[in-house]
Amino acid sequence: MSGLSELDQITRAAGGDRAAQAALVNRNMPIVFRVAYRMLQDRAEAEDVTQETFLRAWKALPDWQPKAKFSTWACTVALNLCRDRLRKKKPVLMDELPERVDTALRPEEYLSSQQTLKGIEANIAALPERQREALSLCALEGMTNIEAAAAMDVSVRALESLLARARRALKARMSDAQAGERP
Amino acid sequence: MTREKMTVERVLELIEAFGAEPGGWPEAERDAASARIAAEPDTFAEALSEARALDQALLNEALPEPSQDLAASILVSAPIAASKRKSVFSTLSSVLFPRGVRWPAGAALASLVMGLVGGYAYASTGVGYDQADAVYYAAFGVDSDATWLSLE
Repeated sequence: MSGLSELDQITRAAGGDRAAQAALVNRNMPIVFRVAYRMLQDRAEAEDVTQETFLRAWKALPDWQPKAKFSTWACTVALNLCRDRLRKKKPVLMDELPERVDTALRPEEYLSSQQTLKGIEANIAALPERQREALSLCALEGMTNIEAAAAMDVSVRALESLLARARRALKARMSDAQAGERP
Repeated sequence: MTREKMTVERVLELIEAFGAEPGGWPEAERDAASARIAAEPDTFAEALSEARALDQALLNEALPEPSQDLAASILVSAPIAASKRKSVFSTLSSVLFPRGVRWPAGAALASLVMGLVGGYAYASTGVGYDQADAVYYAAFGVDSDATWLSLE
């Protein structure tokens, strides 16, 4: 099944080919789940979103147009579902993290702290929603800037700005954590 | 983008947004930015080092795994091949005719069975005969050959 192009696989999956469907799920389910989890911070909810995303995929497959990769399409759907859920359950949106001037800490010092490494998930979770989406798709899932911008429905330039702000915020938080540990 | 057009500022922007690995940079600018860094390594050393540290931290992100039955439950809702879609009739026929329905033979067999059952029931009870007589008497009041002949 790995020799098939994605379009062939989608065509077969739409026609009820179980092997093609399983391959499509195995290849794309993990990324959809991870993207949803980073947004929702809840495993059960992330699984619900993943399942709903594929439910929509099964309906969309017969009329599939190969404009984007399946994973990009699936992440777009998953992000929209996550946004809906976040909108419903979060009455107060988190403010943007303040962007701080880079400190004099050396990169090696970041890495020396196991505490900092353990806190990376919490730091990502604390990022504003759009920055988290950008970081999740590009830095963590390896999408190209064009694919991620398409999935988020923003311009490539806007994506780049979100990424830069996300990384600056993460660096600042890691520096703060590092400084807090010092006597 | 050519190497000449790639500015120091733009390379720093790329590193800040996409990290230290050229593989993560926009494809259109990747070669030019890499060439610029190779030409002036000291200019970008600090930015690259910091970005690398963050990249490494991101690699250590630990997320929970989805439950094992998630993939199975997703596949349950997947479309079924047209040939595998069973109607009530096809389910019933597969029970009645496990080797498949053969219409001519099936119809002949059904006719034969119906004829035999109907004939046996009619002959054994005699109800049909009595009913025919009753109808005739009610209509003509007689049962003679002459009447029959006049009717013909």
